[in-house]
Amino acid sequence: MDFGFSLSPSSAIDLDKVDLSLYRRLEQTAPDIRNCIACGSCSATCMAASYSGMSVRKLILNLQRGADVEKMLSCCMLCGKCTMVCPRGINTRKLILDVCRYYSKKV
Amino acid sequence: MRERIPSGFDPFVLPFLIGMGFVLLYCLLAALRVLWQCPREDRRRFFISLITPTTALKNIWDIFANCLIHVKLWRRNRMLGFMHSSIAFGWFMIILLGHLEVLFFVPHRLNLFYYPIFFNYFVAETDTTLRGSFLFFLMDFFLLMILIGIVLAVIKRVRSRLFGMRRTTRLSFLDTVGLYSLWLIFPLRLLAESFTASISGGSFLVKPLNWLLEAVLGTQFLLNPANNLPTWWAYSIVLGVFMVVLPFTRYMHIPTEMMLIPMRNAGLRIRHARRGYALLEIYSCPGCGVCIDACPMSVKKANIKDCTVYLNRQLRRGNEKRIEEISDKCLLCGKCTEVCQVGVEGPALRIFQRARRQYAINPDYGTVQVSAPASGAKLLYFGGCMTALTPSIGRSMESVLGKLGIDYTWMDRDGGICCGRPMLQAGRFAQAADMVRRNTELIKASGADTLLLSCPICYKMFRDHYKLPGIRVVHHTQYFEELRRSGVLKLSKSDLCYAYHDPCELGRGCGEYEAPRGLVGAAAFIVEAEKNRGESICCGGSLGSLSLSFQQREAMTRKALDNLTVGGPDAIATACPLCLATFSRYSSIPVRDIAEVVDLSL
Amino acid sequence: MKESVIIIGGGVAGLEAASQLLALGLSPVIIERSDHLGGHVAEWYRLFPDLSPAQDLIARLVDSASGARIYLETEISRINALKDGYSATLNNGDVLFCKAVLVCTGFHLFEAAKKEEYGYGIYDRVITNRDLEHWFGGAEDERITDNPKAIGFVHCVGSRDVKAGNTQCSKVCCMTAIKQAIELKEKFPESEIYCFYMDLRLFGKKYEDFYISAQKDYGIHFIRGRVSEVSEDIEGRLLVKAEDTLSGKPLKVRLDLLVLMAGMVCHPQTARIASMVRAEVDDDGFLRSRDNIYSIVESGRKGIFFAGACTGTKTVPETVAEARAAALSAYRYIKGNA
Repeated sequence: MDFGFSLSPSSAIDLDKVDLSLYRRLEQTAPDIRNCIACGSCSATCMAASYSGMSVRKLILNLQRGADVEKMLSCCMLCGKCTMVCPRGINTRKLILDVCRYYSKKV
Repeated sequence: MRERIPSGFDPFVLPFLIGMGFVLLYCLLAALRVLWQCPREDRRRFFISLITPTTALKNIWDIFANCLIHVKLWRRNRMLGFMHSSIAFGWFMIILLGHLEVLFFVPHRLNLFYYPIFFNYFVAETDTTLRGSFLFFLMDFFLLMILIGIVLAVIKRVRSRLFGMRRTTRLSFLDTVGLYSLWLIFPLRLLAESFTASISGGSFLVKPLNWLLEAVLGTQFLLNPANNLPTWWAYSIVLGVFMVVLPFTRYMHIPTEMMLIPMRNAGLRIRHARRGYALLEIYSCPGCGVCIDACPMSVKKANIKDCTVYLNRQLRRGNEKRIEEISDKCLLCGKCTEVCQVGVEGPALRIFQRARRQYAINPDYGTVQVSAPASGAKLLYFGGCMTALTPSIGRSMESVLGKLGIDYTWMDRDGGICCGRPMLQAGRFAQAADMVRRNTELIKASGADTLLLSCPICYKMFRDHYKLPGIRVVHHTQYFEELRRSGVLKLSKSDLCYAYHDPCELGRGCGEYEAPRGLVGAAAFIVEAEKNRGESICCGGSLGSLSLSFQQREAMTRKALDNLTVGGPDAIATACPLCLATFSRYSSIPVRDIAEVVDLSL
Repeated sequence: MKESVIIIGGGVAGLEAASQLLALGLSPVIIERSDHLGGHVAEWYRLFPDLSPAQDLIARLVDSASGARIYLETEISRINALKDGYSATLNNGDVLFCKAVLVCTGFHLFEAAKKEEYGYGIYDRVITNRDLEHWFGGAEDERITDNPKAIGFVHCVGSRDVKAGNTQCSKVCCMTAIKQAIELKEKFPESEIYCFYMDLRLFGKKYEDFYISAQKDYGIHFIRGRVSEVSEDIEGRLLVKAEDTLSGKPLKVRLDLLVLMAGMVCHPQTARIASMVRAEVDDDGFLRSRDNIYSIVESGRKGIFFAGACTGTKTVPETVAEARAAALSAYRYIKGNA
């Protein structure tokens, strides 16, 4: 019997179904994306964070969950502070540039 | 003098003619192509400069000094300079003198292209004149000069350290063909001339060799065309081979530099990654490899293949993968440009390569709402992004300006927009322009007349890429130095010994070497680094590199520290927050910004 | 003639090892480079999770090691291997002979000034965990004002941070932060206390209860987000910026006191000590044990033993346990070779 639940899709993340194609691409070009411990230093120090919610931590998380990243990147000024503070030594600027480059809009 | 060969022709000149024809045609077409690729504005400027007397004379002088004498190489290392002068200038002279010989003795043959080169085959000496023996003397003198240069070149291939070069370029296959044929040209010329010297005459070099050959092989042997013609064939073939491969080897720099210099003197600059002026720079690279030792990345052998000389090579080959790797890795410190004998601008070329990239996401800063700074003081201090991570600088600036009683507004104390230089260096020009626009609005709205920067990256950006009419852009070292000179800022000298590090962006980038030294010298003592000023070594922390990892930079920072601490200083003084953060990580002695040095001694 | 064992370092590890060796009938000699015994713990106030006084522990250790020969303000210049033991030359000229050497050189506290963005030494209200312990113990510190309304703790300063040169976790700072937060709350009950953490590492016996108590009984606020920069506002209060990762928003707060939890890093003399006893330095900077599970107290070289933080971060109970294990291993080694 159909209870109508399929009309409103669940907002739960189904890890079996997420689209990780962009994340996989970045694992090749910027392999230190795997090192992120989501500490939030990057977001805290970001010059654009208060204007746009830009956060490298969220960027990596969204990539890993197959969620959208375009809006968040609209304000990155490439100033490099996130790279300076990352305790895992991730080259966050390269990551951002690669995402900007390899991103393809989902239909 | 009389002509020995009535027709004035022999088939052996053909290889030379073919080679020469090919290379001249190639150079002509290439020159036209470069001109066509330049924007019309640049083309106009170039042509006007050619007829402007001052620039025209400067061009001639520069070509003479750089292409023939290689003055810059002499300054680098005397052996290198002599080696290149002797070959280049010597070769120029024997060509010139060859033409003079034809002019004086067989002027009706001037229309024959190859005649001056093979003069000693076609012309026999019937009587000895003062003019003749003088010219022969000069020819032999310059031939000897070239041969000494060739010997040095051979030695340099084996032992480059004798020439002050720790590392030199690995040659490609065609480069090697060009190299060996170049090396063979003059010994073969010597051989050929010696074979026919008894008919054609010669001077102190050729004649004794001729006697030696006669003694060993016999006069008749030498005079037999079946024996002496092959030597002339050999000479011609080697010349032909060299000419034919020249456009595909590093030796293309010979004609290209002669076009680069006038264009540069006309004020043309790189506008496009692969066309026009950039193409001239790419092909002017002589592949000498001086940039390899200079590059701060070369401390690790793995990075040598990413120096500018190899970038130029990959650009010529169109190897996109390597071009991207090399362009993204570079620290953009500018040291290669500083030492380059031809002035190839490594950082600029790389930024333009980066700018070719297509991006799917293009930020715009429309949502960034930054309010204009409040107070309305005439001095506007822009701390920059890095100052939040190096609070000692901001603190010291506040303290110094406070002690001097200067009224100022700290524009980006609670956050702001980046100056845009890291974005520019990443090749994203449109985004950088947007940031520039936003910041310009804010600065103009503040009503200030002076913009004070404590970060040289910001300073270079504001100075070169912002249009702020009526607003003076000044770095804190310059600002404080002026105040010191005018007596407003009084520093008490401590007995500490500082080594001052010239930041890439302030030193090579803006040409400011003296103001910081004035300040540190007044506040304490300075002991200079082994390589300083224009040759200072990049700290390794530059945001110019897109792909270098944190671990890869450590070796570069340590090398820069070793260079700085050669004189045993108590502390290091620097004028850039990025250098400060980078050095502090590995330095065992304190690292202080100039602002802090000044504050401590006020 | 009792066989002698040289113990390098007179901290918790060295003292406990000495007392065990005495009980086993050997003759330990302690070489300590500072002017007091007890190492770092001697500077502390109370130990987690029992909040027992550190001075009591130190007094007890010093007392039970009192039968050992003790050199203070002395360093070892050289150690030579002999046929059946070692000879150590001290910097005062004495030469000692022993059958075994116990390395108890401990750790070094990360220099918080190296993380310049936190402003230690630049701003007036930023202190470290060690400064705070001193203050609890009665020392004066003008950086701690009379009535701080808001206090912050920054975890992982100099730990888990490749930029600080130490990628390892310092193990004890999370518990120390909670302990100090509780102690500060007891001193200033009206203040709000915030702990900024990346992860909370509370792995030992009763540690989780301690944490629950901090939340429930003392109202300490825990914010998951690493502090990226600290600045000062016009009144001299500290403005701390972090990301509240759990809500995904940048967060800032004004504080009257900021305590940096400086981590445990290897001793700067480690390389020298390692070369003296011909031990290896591991890639985390500490000394390398024979293995990391069964033989932590053994170095792999005969007659050289390790105990305590010289091989890696340790808590006090772990240090005491290792000291006893090292003493027993040394004893068995000496008796086995006799």
